[in-house]
Amino acid sequence: MPAAVSVVAGLFEEGPGGLRLLATRCTSCDTLYFPRRPTCRNPACETKAVEDAQLPRDGTIHSFTIQRYQPPAMFRIDDWKPYAIGVVDLGAGVQVMGILEGVAFDELAIGMPVRVTGRTLYRDPEGLDVRTFAFVPGGSEAA
Amino acid sequence: MSRPVFLLGAGAHPWGKWPDAPQVQLALHALRAALGDAGLGWRDVQGLVAASSRFEGGMGWGLHANEIVQLVAEQGIACVNVGGACAAGAIAFSTAHAMIASGQYDVVAAVGAERMPKGFIPRPPGSQDDIGDEDYLRWVTMGATNPAYWAIEARRRMHDHGTRPETFARAAVLMRSNAAGNPYARFRQPSTVAEVLASPLVADPLHLLEICPVSDGAAAVILVSHEIARRCGGRPVEVAGCAIASGAFGDPARRIPTISATVRPGVTHTSEVAGAVERAMSIAGIGPADVDVLEMADNTAWHLLAWPELFGMHAPGESDHLLETGKLAIGAGRLAINPSGGFLSFGEATTAQALMQVCEIAWQIRGEATGRQVPDARVGMTAVLGLGANGGSVILKR
Repeated sequence: MPAAVSVVAGLFEEGPGGLRLLATRCTSCDTLYFPRRPTCRNPACETKAVEDAQLPRDGTIHSFTIQRYQPPAMFRIDDWKPYAIGVVDLGAGVQVMGILEGVAFDELAIGMPVRVTGRTLYRDPEGLDVRTFAFVPGGSEAA
Repeated sequence: MSRPVFLLGAGAHPWGKWPDAPQVQLALHALRAALGDAGLGWRDVQGLVAASSRFEGGMGWGLHANEIVQLVAEQGIACVNVGGACAAGAIAFSTAHAMIASGQYDVVAAVGAERMPKGFIPRPPGSQDDIGDEDYLRWVTMGATNPAYWAIEARRRMHDHGTRPETFARAAVLMRSNAAGNPYARFRQPSTVAEVLASPLVADPLHLLEICPVSDGAAAVILVSHEIARRCGGRPVEVAGCAIASGAFGDPARRIPTISATVRPGVTHTSEVAGAVERAMSIAGIGPADVDVLEMADNTAWHLLAWPELFGMHAPGESDHLLETGKLAIGAGRLAINPSGGFLSFGEATTAQALMQVCEIAWQIRGEATGRQVPDARVGMTAVLGLGANGGSVILKR
């Protein structure tokens, strides 16, 4: 398996147990933020001290779309073709947007259980697989 | 102190693609028209507030007001240059309004002018390529275009309210129908539901003709004190209320360009706009039922259904029925929406758009909107959203 690198540092970690989205938790009001943030934006929160946290892996599709046109060049992907993007409710008051895959477009549905995973966007000139996070069917209904 | 403010002049350059007219030339065209409408000249102008572009002009520093006065009137005019992305025009209006309401100035102009780059709005220069920049993240991690965000909202509305694809298409058709009578609109050919549904899907469920393109255009207003309004004659319209707002914690909206949302129960959707609208109505002493004509940012057909419900003009889910039974057409129901033809018929010229909305409301309230006039329009409102959770709203009344 070729070596891999995250498309942007500090967003997620991939290990033997799968992919974890890296978050921040406010130590005062417990609000979770993704991606990691230096402070808490809850106006009712006074101390705003934060610590590193991880997001739940499982959630449900809140809504989705199929992106039919190729995005601008900043989005690098090998073998581009239309793909799904969804908003996934991970529970704990956090909704995360990401690529949805592993399911036919006409089978996508609001409420479908999904789990976060990693996927290769493209192979860079040094032969490294450049990876992002995505969601695939699975996970638990409980989220 | 605070004193009444009047809109004395409104002017615009028609929307379109104008490769041979620099942005500042479009701005000067709109200002000349607004000053002419007010019966004033540059010698009368004491302040100029510009909605600053990130794409062109402004000496590279967003100094669009300074650029303008150095071309036409070096007389010590107070220059204010404001940001606010697509809501910049509303912020410029609000700033000009405050300059007069405070008693510091008697004649202040607000202007927005824009020539847009082609295609999906690109990421402007000057940001960091790291985890702190949400615009960078949305592009490199998932390539989420602006229409993808709106489409996700539209899909959710179909789930929550049973909105049908034909209803979104009908909203787009209504905008073209309204625009047919507006010489400032770019797309004035009537369309049909079948034609809209046959246009390419950009991001399901939204088709190309249900999403606003980008255009070039400019709009300007002249605001004055009561004393000037009285002395000049003309056709002053009272600014009944205006407000700007940013977003609320826990807002469930898909906020471009973020890739996540911290959602809390009971928080208003698109709170930056709903908050500005609520505050403007409170200042004007009116409620949603008092508004005769609304000019709102219809970046997509979904917005046309969702926003009047957010503002309390329609009950949640009610827009579909009102649209399908023809009640949202000019003169057909209680509230007319975007008699100008809206962003769908203009194409968005970002920083100019909110001032174009105010111009249209001024013409409607004066009864001068030939070809698209809302009968007996007495109270008109604008509503606009900009990147960074900026909302703005202006209410004019007869």
